[in-house]
Amino acid sequence: MDGDGEGQSRWCLSQVKGAVDDDVAEADIISAVEFNHSGELLATGDRGGRIVIFQQEQESKSLPQCRAEYNVYSTFQSHEPEFDYLKSLEIEEKINKIRWLPQKNAAHFLLSTNDKTIKLWKISERDKRPEGYNLKEEDGRFRHPSSLTTLRVPVFQPMDLMVEASPRRVYANAHTYHINSISVNSDNETYLSADDLRINLWHLDFTDRSFNIVDIKPVNMEELTEVITASEFHPLQCNTFVYGSSKGSVRLCDMRASALCDQHSKLFEEPEDPSTRSFFSEIISSISDVKFSHSGRYMMTRDYLTLKIWDLHMESRPVETYQVHGYLRSKLCSLYENDCIFDKFECCWRSDDSEVMTGSYNNFFRMFNRDAQQDVTLEASWENGSPGCPLKPWRVCTGSRRKRNEIGVDCLDFSRKILYTSWHPQDNVVALATVNNLYIFQEKPN
Amino acid sequence: ILQRPLLFRSFENILKYNLKLEIINIINIMRFASFLCVSLSDIHYMLGKGLKRKLEQEEENGVMKMSCPQEASPACYWLQRQTVLNLSLLKLHSRPGHTEPGLARWVLITNTLRRIQDVPAPQFFPSGVETHSEGSLTPVSGLEEDRHLFLCLSPSISRQQPPSSSVIKDSFTSALAEIEDLCPTVGITTLFSTEMGPSSLSDSAQSLFGHTPPLLADFSLDDFLLTEIDSLLFDNVPCGSSLSGSSGASKVISMVTDDLVKTLAGYGNGGISQSALPSNQTFKLDLNELDHIMEVLVGL
Repeated sequence: MDGDGEGQSRWCLSQVKGAVDDDVAEADIISAVEFNHSGELLATGDRGGRIVIFQQEQESKSLPQCRAEYNVYSTFQSHEPEFDYLKSLEIEEKINKIRWLPQKNAAHFLLSTNDKTIKLWKISERDKRPEGYNLKEEDGRFRHPSSLTTLRVPVFQPMDLMVEASPRRVYANAHTYHINSISVNSDNETYLSADDLRINLWHLDFTDRSFNIVDIKPVNMEELTEVITASEFHPLQCNTFVYGSSKGSVRLCDMRASALCDQHSKLFEEPEDPSTRSFFSEIISSISDVKFSHSGRYMMTRDYLTLKIWDLHMESRPVETYQVHGYLRSKLCSLYENDCIFDKFECCWRSDDSEVMTGSYNNFFRMFNRDAQQDVTLEASWENGSPGCPLKPWRVCTGSRRKRNEIGVDCLDFSRKILYTSWHPQDNVVALATVNNLYIFQEKPN
Repeated sequence: ILQRPLLFRSFENILKYNLKLEIINIINIMRFASFLCVSLSDIHYMLGKGLKRKLEQEEENGVMKMSCPQEASPACYWLQRQTVLNLSLLKLHSRPGHTEPGLARWVLITNTLRRIQDVPAPQFFPSGVETHSEGSLTPVSGLEEDRHLFLCLSPSISRQQPPSSSVIKDSFTSALAEIEDLCPTVGITTLFSTEMGPSSLSDSAQSLFGHTPPLLADFSLDDFLLTEIDSLLFDNVPCGSSLSGSSGASKVISMVTDDLVKTLAGYGNGGISQSALPSNQTFKLDLNELDHIMEVLVGL
């Protein structure tokens, strides 16, 4: 276990954002969490279509132990609910994914998507405004030119900081099915968007066209047995991307090979273990998230019960497999009944790729140290422990609980789950979302 | 002329008792669905606020755990197979609301159903269910053509379905409500909706007269999935229209009556109990209630 003895882990709670009461409005449920490339900004999206961006304050000298806090920087409505008149169905405004663009100038850009439409948002600061117009009064009224006696040059005066978010592009009408992933290419010019059956390639500047690069829709929809569940561009090679499927396989495609990448270049699939075969084998093998390592050498996949690390050079099996919550294997029928088996958990890499992290139920999250081959279960809770206090690891046991910080499998709360996680790109700070709260944890500096 | 009223009466009785057979079959399934009761109530606790309950008692009994390995007990495997089947069909029927249902979820559930179909149903038939000697199959097999019979009687109503003017459906719904009062489980509508498929009824017949487990032994899953559930459910196939009278009717009737008495005598007080043993999971349903239900169903 990470940490010393039975006591403590290296991680401590830094902040909790969001309401702490039990009554959660549907619109406030967080559905996306993402750090930007510098880690200065942290964006969250919710089911109400809003995006809230937090900014890390400058290091404060008074509290050298804690890293700087994140405070609200900007809030805006990204997507609105829409109505598809053709099918008589609502299109949810829920934010499915947020991806930041690398910063090129003072403004920040991010892509946000709901089920059908992707938007490019520009977040910019304004701390000066021009004053001293000739033809306009300070309150906005116009002056008649004939009333002018002198001319002056307007000057910029400082004002209170205002953060503006404006939609720069709207990429619409390209997806028949629900968008599950977006990924910005390393060339910083293109990005991909993936729905259940198709993957499209966009250029950031053009909203009226996109190229279809993967299409797995069968001619006869009744023969459909597999859908795309996640997709990502390689962090370094702009021609390479992967997509995961509901059958537990991941395909790597090279866009140089052909215009339509239906033929994969590599297929990553682990043969099914016959000893664990059940009616739910396929459902639990469905890939819920796929993430490349920062180095670009490895790829991590998350399915319902495990986390697998693949070497891109070896397709036959993963190089590492971590059990996230293997104790749920005997509960699959109940989890099927209450639909929890369809939960899509995300995962993320540490900046140096030495650790990986993913969420679980009961507001637990799991961290796996690849080098030390150790793992720890921690809880996101504002009740237990105060900020700055190291978290105590938890253990889930199959019988009744015996000690403190042990909990029986049957006592787990399946309505409290951590699906969305993001790791700071440089520091050891992680952000994760419970149902309606954002938790930020940081590692104790030793 | 003399024969005609006899024919009619036997026809009527055949219909009545065939439907009773089906209800008995369903009741037997409901007994096993009591295991669903245990897990469902636990799930309610799991999803509730702050209330947690331990399942030690169930695990100690351990007789019919939800997901025993196939090798451990064929009955257990059969139960799980049925449970997953019921759940899958229920999920496919239920519409989430105003938004488009997810394709990924649909594909996963459909593939699970296909997997169940590919795995042959075990030969073992759970004990406690009454079996009959080979009798005349005519009355029930006559229902084979009425494959939509229980589809149209199924109360698995989704909001988008147009209201039906079928008297049978309405009265069945109220009869169902009565049964639901007796057995407080969510799984009832599921069970009725599982009585689907072209050959399910003939299989059910075999199950009572033979030893193979009932329900969806083999049917064309693709056919089933492709068919518009709405149109199926409201196909107003008049019940018993294709039934033919049979001279063996009286023989069937007496057999069925015996069976009825035997089966229903085994039922005691129902309700959710802590124990997972099947013998404790019984439902209070006496002959009078069953007759009442029958009357409501077919207006006899």
